[in-house]
Amino acid sequence: MNKFAKMSSKFSLMLALVSLLSACGGDNGQDGNPGEPAKPPALTITSLKVTVDKVQMIDGIAQVDFQVSNQDDEAVIGVPSATFIAAQLLPQGYTGAGNSSEWQHFTAETCAATCPGSLTDHKNGHYSYIFSAPFNGMNGVTFMPEATQRMVVKIGGDKLADNTPLPITNQHYDWQSSGDNVAYTRNLVTIETCNSCHSDLAFHGSKYNQIETCVTCHNSKKVSNPADIFPQMVHSKHLTGFPQPISDCQTCHVDKAELAEQQNWHRVPTMQACGACHTQINFPAGEGHPAQADNSNCVACHNADWTASVHSDEDKTAALMQFSPSITSASMDANGTVTVAVNLMNPATGSVYSDSADKLKFINDLRVYANWGTSFDYATRSARSIKLPESTPESGSNGIYTYTIAGLTVPAGTEADHGGLAIQGRVYAKDKVLVDCTTELAEVLVIKASHSYFDTAALSSTGRRTVVSNTSCGNCHGDQKLNIHGSRNDLGGQCQLCHNANMLADATAANPSTTSFDFKQLIHGIHTSQFTGFENLNYPGKIGNCTQCHVNDSAGISTVALPLNSAVQPLALDNGTFTSPIAAVCSNCHSATSTHNHMAQQGAVFAGTKADATAGTETCAFCHGQGGVADVLKVHPIN
Amino acid sequence: MPTAKLSHPSACFSLTLLAWVISGVLSQAHAEGYELQQANRSGIKTEAWSCKQCQSKSGHSGDVSATLAYNDGEDSRFGNRTGTDNDGFVGAVGADMVYKTQSGYQTQLIADKLGFDAGSAKLTTGRPGNYQINLGYRGLANYNHNQLKSPYTSSQDKMLLPDNWITGGTTQSMPMLQSSLVGQDLSIQRDRFMIGGYYAGKISPEGDNNSHYKASLNYQHEDRSGAKKTSANILTNSVMLAQPIDDSTDEIDARVYFNGTGWQAGINSQVSQYKNDHQAMQWQSAYTPTFGAAYLGQNAVDPDSKAYRVAAEASGGANGQNVLMHAGFSRMTQDDTFIPATINGPSPVLPADTLDGQVDIIEMILKYSGRITQDLSVQASYNYQDRDNKTAKLDFPQIITDSINQGSAQNSLYDKRTKKLELKGKYRFTSAAYAEAGYSRNENDYTELDRQSVDESGVFAKLSYRYSPAWSAWLKGEALERDGSEYDPVTTTQSQSNPWLRKSYLADRKRQKVTLHTDYQTDIGLSLGASLHSVDDDFHHTQVGLTQVSYLGYDVSAQYALSDDLHFSAFVNQDWRDSDQAGSNHFSTPDWYSTAEEKSTLIGAGFSYQNLFDNHLDIGLDYSYSDGQSDTEVVYGITSPYGDFYARKHNINAYAKYKFADSMSLRVDWLFEKYQDANWQNQGTNWDTLPNVLSFGDMSHDYNAHYLGLTLSYQM
Repeated sequence: MNKFAKMSSKFSLMLALVSLLSACGGDNGQDGNPGEPAKPPALTITSLKVTVDKVQMIDGIAQVDFQVSNQDDEAVIGVPSATFIAAQLLPQGYTGAGNSSEWQHFTAETCAATCPGSLTDHKNGHYSYIFSAPFNGMNGVTFMPEATQRMVVKIGGDKLADNTPLPITNQHYDWQSSGDNVAYTRNLVTIETCNSCHSDLAFHGSKYNQIETCVTCHNSKKVSNPADIFPQMVHSKHLTGFPQPISDCQTCHVDKAELAEQQNWHRVPTMQACGACHTQINFPAGEGHPAQADNSNCVACHNADWTASVHSDEDKTAALMQFSPSITSASMDANGTVTVAVNLMNPATGSVYSDSADKLKFINDLRVYANWGTSFDYATRSARSIKLPESTPESGSNGIYTYTIAGLTVPAGTEADHGGLAIQGRVYAKDKVLVDCTTELAEVLVIKASHSYFDTAALSSTGRRTVVSNTSCGNCHGDQKLNIHGSRNDLGGQCQLCHNANMLADATAANPSTTSFDFKQLIHGIHTSQFTGFENLNYPGKIGNCTQCHVNDSAGISTVALPLNSAVQPLALDNGTFTSPIAAVCSNCHSATSTHNHMAQQGAVFAGTKADATAGTETCAFCHGQGGVADVLKVHPIN
Repeated sequence: MPTAKLSHPSACFSLTLLAWVISGVLSQAHAEGYELQQANRSGIKTEAWSCKQCQSKSGHSGDVSATLAYNDGEDSRFGNRTGTDNDGFVGAVGADMVYKTQSGYQTQLIADKLGFDAGSAKLTTGRPGNYQINLGYRGLANYNHNQLKSPYTSSQDKMLLPDNWITGGTTQSMPMLQSSLVGQDLSIQRDRFMIGGYYAGKISPEGDNNSHYKASLNYQHEDRSGAKKTSANILTNSVMLAQPIDDSTDEIDARVYFNGTGWQAGINSQVSQYKNDHQAMQWQSAYTPTFGAAYLGQNAVDPDSKAYRVAAEASGGANGQNVLMHAGFSRMTQDDTFIPATINGPSPVLPADTLDGQVDIIEMILKYSGRITQDLSVQASYNYQDRDNKTAKLDFPQIITDSINQGSAQNSLYDKRTKKLELKGKYRFTSAAYAEAGYSRNENDYTELDRQSVDESGVFAKLSYRYSPAWSAWLKGEALERDGSEYDPVTTTQSQSNPWLRKSYLADRKRQKVTLHTDYQTDIGLSLGASLHSVDDDFHHTQVGLTQVSYLGYDVSAQYALSDDLHFSAFVNQDWRDSDQAGSNHFSTPDWYSTAEEKSTLIGAGFSYQNLFDNHLDIGLDYSYSDGQSDTEVVYGITSPYGDFYARKHNINAYAKYKFADSMSLRVDWLFEKYQDANWQNQGTNWDTLPNVLSFGDMSHDYNAHYLGLTLSYQM
């Protein structure tokens, strides 16, 4: 716009202002009546919704107007207490070149029996709170009207006058002097990402349950220990016991379009954020890294692409995308010899590797396992396997080759049952491509294992019951990133091939269930820190929230629900005794003597004969079954 | 009209020379459609052209002079005005002498400020219009800074620190820094030596009297010496250096032209060679090595290179129709030996010993101009240029700042092909008014840029009106729109650019230009001129990048001749340019915005009064003031203004020349300059202000400087 145009636009702006003034001429300066039209009053409350309408500054003192409603958008009147937290965000680079954006805490004011400011209940679901004093200068922070401001309203955790409990609710509202259209934000992670592993995170007496709330206090203006500033605190808290590779920043810094600053993890490196994990470095002292007085130089070496490439699995993923083995057919003869056909694909190109595995030099390992008896959790604890790179195929050509796995245990009368197959392996890769095993600095990568089922004639979609899935395990462990025994990572169907009811528990243990390598016992034992070697495990979610791991069955009912699937076998103890199936699995967690007595009184068998343990005397489902008075789906904090 | 000029009494040239002078601007004259050969010359009595006042005298004529001056050289920048940076008394000689014989031979010596860095001398001998040989020297000096300090001294290809230097991790921890500082002179002296000549004559002595040829050959050698500001770094530690410059350029220009009635044709060619006395710049690091033993760094310097160009052109026409054709070919080559990829640790093997770089340029111009009727004339032109980089594409190892091997990268071969079409028509309504309108299209094809093609089309209209013999004015408006192929950010760079970014030189753009100009000339010696111009650039599809530029300026000038001896002049010029930019801190849509407001003011006034005291004294004074500044503001929620960025200058140039004898005169010159500049990027800084930049510190100037010169002239 040239000068003349600017002048004319200024002039027209003046005209507009003049006409605005005349339009507002009758205003008496009082606030309008908030909340028209009024909502109907809430009858029941299962969840609360707080809506911040606006924050306005009157003589430097903030007034926040907000509404409270229930799950049905009905007005909630008479909220007895509330907490208001105010903070300000300094933009990226403002505090120094290379520095990230930074929150500054002003104040947190709680109104209950007493109130530092003044909270007004407009009795129609609308509320107003006027802070006790101007923000400017509060907590030593200068209020900057153009900066992004945050207001957090926390209500709940108490009851209405009629004793209706109010669930704890945090709601944040970002604003600046000209309205709620802020120029910049600091939205890096969502609480949903945290809760995918942590269930319902809440801190400080469960009052605060949103990341947007945490950061308003966990900043340099509020906490005295720098280790408690949010980025540093969160990074360092996850350093030990993290259930998947810590180096993949995107486990938490997930790509989500609604997070404007989602790429900060690799675009804004700082000694504070990076140093919280790279704890061996003292940047100012120059220990473990060339001395750096501040963050101004970080990106000179650690540019965004470099940081992203070393902190993600991008290269490995690209290489792994070039190899996918699958079992294309399977059958079993009367001697228990399984014949399987294996196909090796390159999904990246859609083409088939025409050679057999023993001729493909990029394959480090490729194995197929087989076990029989999916309706009774398998016949043997040692599944049969073959190593394909060391086996000459029986027959085959053009990418489909046939192998045999001999000697499966097929108990008499189970010939009409099904067997399980699993395939796992490792490949050599370098710079995003699969390479020959002799390539210098080639890396060995573990492929995603998979399982399938078969009957005597062919592959089958019928197989072992599915209780957990790779997806549910992946919420904490990443998508098949947890490799056990080197390269077994199909937690949904592969592990159970060996970790089955044929494993023996220690009969002498106080709680034998937690000593068995049977998958269900092992997994419960590990995640409750009872299994030997896992005593220090700190389960990140609510352990009673069974559905964090358990999936629903084909009918859509949780696999935790009673009665259990009939395939579930009793717990075998190493003294030849057995514990009935429901008691065995529930007592893994519910281990108190009184609980055992309760189970025994209701028909459970502990360390009895196999005949007794399988006689079906357990009456648990009568009360704990679906719809029962103490349905397991209800008594557990399942959500 | 040319004929009017020819009959002017001051046309004291031989006809042959005049024809050559005019043929030198023939192509332009053709473009304007007022070709010389259209003049009706049949009735001209050329013998009447002889000029009585400037009848060529034989023998010596001219003057010689000697200057003694006091020059304030404390800040060498003042030398850009005076021609020398010496502090104190300085001397120079000058001459403007001609020796002529009756037969037309002429030898001329012109010397100016010989003795100063920016002095010149030229000796010419021959028969003007027939043949001439010239020999020349010219010194050009550019003084930037002489008050900066640094611990570095240069020795051939090396920038060295004192022997007792103790390295530090940061600039604050270098114990020898303060005691090792030595002055740095950032100035560049260019010494040009020229030799050349021409030979001209009639193509056929008996034939067409108007057919001529001219062949010329000129050679120039230029030596450059001095130092320029550069910087070097190892990892994140950097130093500013006064990099020595010692290089030379040789140029040969040869041309042969022929012309006759209504036509001209010729070829010209240039050959040039650049030689750098330095092979590399090695510098001793002031810092404690971050990794390994990186005590030395090495930067490449400008490589030796060669270029040549051959071009041919022809033009001609008749009956108001004229055509000009031009074709040229240039080749630039460079095959200097590569320096190793790193001198810290083993250097990876380079794919070749030299770049063996070659860039060819083919250019072609076609122009037509024609007068359709007495009042309507049209012009059309087509330009074609193809730049073809024929260098081989190879995988080069990439060592980042002598430290980190980043794998390999290929050299980009940027090619460009341009096609320009211009169509113009001009219609004269009356002798006082005409209108002009035109269309232009500019097509550019690129390789290895974010856009493969960028095209710009535009129209303009101009209306010119002479209101009275004294008043005239014209108004011109132009609208251009640029677009092109799909914008696809290049993937060859190490860090990809924001997908929303549109680089300003490739972005879609709407441009509007308006110019209003008026002249007022009276017959009492007063003339006034004023113009107003504005340019608006709207990058209408740019989200991130330069989004808008608006430019507005005016100038007013006045001259007044109160008498033949007393002249006054004054001028004012002001320009504003506002640029708006949008950026993104989160590598996406814009979240920060900046505005750069640039403003420049130039004011000047002066007078000259000659022949005072009975033709003994001439005096004159000129004053000028210039002020350029830039204010940048970044708004990222919070508004952050940048600091000072300005340059302000007052100049006074006064002289008095007193003729105290018939052939002797004394001239006094007083030059004064008050200069101040500042740049927030280094304002108030010191050598060790930044922990990882060993800088020159504050690079601003602030001085009041005088030059007082006495020149004694002898008139032969």
